[in-house]
Amino acid sequence: MRHKRTNLETELRANRPEPSHEFVNRLEGRVREGRRSRAGSFRVAFAGALAAGVLAALASVGGLGYAATATGSAVDKAKQAVKSHGVLVVHKSPSRDQYGPKVKKAKKAKKKAKGRKFKRPPFTG
Amino acid sequence: MLRVDPLRNPEPLIRRVYGYVAYRIGDGPDAEDLTSETFVRALRYRKSFDPQKGEPLAWLIGIARRLIEGRPPTLELAIEVPEQTDAGDLEEVTLRRLALSAAVSQLEPRDRDLIALRYGADLTARQIAEELDLKTNAVEVALHRALGRLRATIGEPGDPPVRKEGTAR
Repeated sequence: MRHKRTNLETELRANRPEPSHEFVNRLEGRVREGRRSRAGSFRVAFAGALAAGVLAALASVGGLGYAATATGSAVDKAKQAVKSHGVLVVHKSPSRDQYGPKVKKAKKAKKKAKGRKFKRPPFTG
Repeated sequence: MLRVDPLRNPEPLIRRVYGYVAYRIGDGPDAEDLTSETFVRALRYRKSFDPQKGEPLAWLIGIARRLIEGRPPTLELAIEVPEQTDAGDLEEVTLRRLALSAAVSQLEPRDRDLIALRYGADLTARQIAEELDLKTNAVEVALHRALGRLRATIGEPGDPPVRKEGTAR
């Protein structure tokens, strides 16, 4: 009797209905996909929470103000650097002499002419 | 606290949940649908899994049980076994499997549930007791009686008389 009972239990286990391979593969794929997408959203949420935590920690010790001041001073320095380089004008340079705006020079000849007061001799002819 | 993912290795879980569902409602597309629905729910409510309360399989079987109980009773599948004269066309193993499934489907819902939990999902008596909120000893006795009734349904000779659950002490 004991042997028979064991046989029935063994049979129940051995003849347990099995799903088709196709069904198992399909469902396994769905489950793995579902796990991945949820893990991805969890990672994004974790990153967001971590960033918020860091900001909160900084704000609690005045770090945000410090960071803002540091950023402002850095911007000022950068502005100064750009400004000093940007408006540097060299007034005397060979290139300026060659390509810069033309400066009208007084004509020496004319001045000399003015000084001499050329007078045409009278017509005698 | 580090969370345990109950669906980390789904393949053996799918097979055992299907085994349970098929013993409850019959092998086939309905069992596949219900197994799929079980895993869809499991994915959705994964966070509610508590490893201290039991193993992932027991948790999944709990979901499947609730889904089966929520089904309309008209969807219960009646398994038909081919006549013995057709045995030549089928392999003996297949015929025996069908006979067993048919015999299980003729059992009372409670007996069928016990057989499905023990031999379909391969849960231990202790796990079944936790699922059904019973004592392990009570589950063992109930299983013994369910097996006796199954044996009587199959028509195996030399079976001891099995009392109905209601007439038991």
